[in-house]
Amino acid sequence: MDMSEALLTLSNVTVRRGSSDVLKNFNLSLKSGQSVLLNEKNGAGKSTIIEASAGLLPLETGEVRHHGALVLDSSGRSKRPEMAFGLTLQSDGCIGSQRVEEHIFNALDLTSNRIDIEPWLKRYNLAHRKHDLIAHLSGGQRRKVAMLAGMLPGFVGDKPRILLLDEPASGLDQPSRERLVEDLHALRERGNTILLASHHSDFAACATHILEDNELIAKNPDEHTSKKWVDVKPTAKPRNAVFRTSMTLNRRTLATLANNGIAGFLTLGILLALVDPKAVDSTLVQASGLYLSSAFAAGLVGDSIIAMLHEHRALDWWKAHRKGIPYSYLHGFVLGMGLTMLTQLGFDESVSWLLALIGGLLTASTMAIVRWFDLATSRLARPKAVYTRILTPILVLPFALLVQWITDSNLL
Amino acid sequence: MSKRAAELVLLVGFIGIGITLVLAFLKAPSVSINAFESPDAQRIFYWHVPAAWAAFIAFGFLFVGSALWFFKRSDFGWRMHVAGAEAGLATGLMTVWSGMVWGSAEWGVAWDWSDVRLNTFGLLTFLALFLVLGRQAQPDGVETRDTFSTFGLFGFVLVPVTYVATRLWQIRHPGPVLGGGDGGSLNNEMAAVLFFGAISFTTFMIGHVLMSMRITLLEQRLESIQEAMDKV
Repeated sequence: MDMSEALLTLSNVTVRRGSSDVLKNFNLSLKSGQSVLLNEKNGAGKSTIIEASAGLLPLETGEVRHHGALVLDSSGRSKRPEMAFGLTLQSDGCIGSQRVEEHIFNALDLTSNRIDIEPWLKRYNLAHRKHDLIAHLSGGQRRKVAMLAGMLPGFVGDKPRILLLDEPASGLDQPSRERLVEDLHALRERGNTILLASHHSDFAACATHILEDNELIAKNPDEHTSKKWVDVKPTAKPRNAVFRTSMTLNRRTLATLANNGIAGFLTLGILLALVDPKAVDSTLVQASGLYLSSAFAAGLVGDSIIAMLHEHRALDWWKAHRKGIPYSYLHGFVLGMGLTMLTQLGFDESVSWLLALIGGLLTASTMAIVRWFDLATSRLARPKAVYTRILTPILVLPFALLVQWITDSNLL
Repeated sequence: MSKRAAELVLLVGFIGIGITLVLAFLKAPSVSINAFESPDAQRIFYWHVPAAWAAFIAFGFLFVGSALWFFKRSDFGWRMHVAGAEAGLATGLMTVWSGMVWGSAEWGVAWDWSDVRLNTFGLLTFLALFLVLGRQAQPDGVETRDTFSTFGLFGFVLVPVTYVATRLWQIRHPGPVLGGGDGGSLNNEMAAVLFFGAISFTTFMIGHVLMSMRITLLEQRLESIQEAMDKV
């Protein structure tokens, strides 16, 4: 790769947050091997620069490029970076129901490579916590996990990467900070471009530049003896991080069953309590609506994984990588099928597999639309204080038309 | 424009709506008892249709305001978005409520989930409710404005769908009474009362929009004063 090529470019970037411009016509161009420390006072826009560099914030003007390719511009064009980058957000980005190793493997799998993480966990005194849930860690340990997830992609593969680290040392003890400074030296020497926001003066030692008043001030990194303390070599094959996280979180928390399932079972219970099974004629339009209503109610709850990501403020971490956001569609599909079959049995009907299949698809598709509402409002300052469920009646008309179609087609 | 212009327009609209009601009950001719299940309830038509007409214009304001904010970053556009949502909610609820009363009398049910026009119009009203409640729950800022403008832009798709719904899927709702292609089904007296109602509801809606835009402008001024005081 041409070392003179800019790995990270922010051109004429203006970002508005709330009612003020946090960044205005901001320019930054970082080449391979450059490490920039952002250490201005609170409210100066350090996190905004990191998040804008990750393509997380809509731009009023300008564009963001990774490795010369457009990632985001002010007209809304957005592309997945060709080369995955390392990201530590101020909000950790970890889900409490994930294990320590799972979050770090997610970060590595997004780069399509894996390395042995054991030495790194030992280095930061996390090896004994490897299989623990992140929710069980202390604040500092949790921060170490987030920091490793943002830093380790820089040790993967032969090509340099962009590493965006927002307050990676927040809550870290002095020995851990010293190790982090050593690792940042090593990452820079591998050719990675590092953008690091921190108030800790320790990090000035490994920076090639410091950003002051939107101007890059060049400096020489402190002398250090580069220790090749660990061999970084690929290990197991990477796996699909989004799919694995979707499956793991649903299996571990039973979120879809607990949230969507309860809504479906309650609907089924109410139907069984209020409707006389003998009065239901399967040739009537009401019958298919009746059999599908619990599956529909389950879908209206939305995707529980999104609620979990919101709760742990981890949604931005997944959005930034643009490789998908964990989902519950498969679990929703199985749940919808099960509920439809149970409802048919509850009304003394023989099970129609076709209707059960439609029930599964109904739950998954309803869940997908409600999930879209949730994601579309995720940028708001108070995403939980928005009344997206008011919009769910939009789904009743398609449901009514589906029921009508099933009846007209004599599918039952 | 005078500071009291909005109140004046709103008052004229209110009076016009009152007169429309009087004309609907006392002046408009009765309809054939063979054509309707509940002929007396047909007089709700003089409230229902003008309210729906005004609601469509309000949703037009919402759309234009959303587009002005989203593409031009216009504060005026955002005020128009807010005003369009609030006026759309007010006139939309007038339409839905009157339609449900009329539906109960004429069809025997207040709501039919399979009637496309009924549902798409109901959704427009829900969209306006979502926008009004949602905005009140969020601090004003670019994130709030972008998000709700996006919903305003997408939601407007429902307006043409609602308009053509009875042409494509005539389930419960009758076809268009004006501009339907067969010369319509209104005599002159009916059309006059309907026209007066449309003017009145439109005036009311415009007064509502003007007043709402003024309130939002005052909110914006107050916020900028507070921000200036924060920096002192």
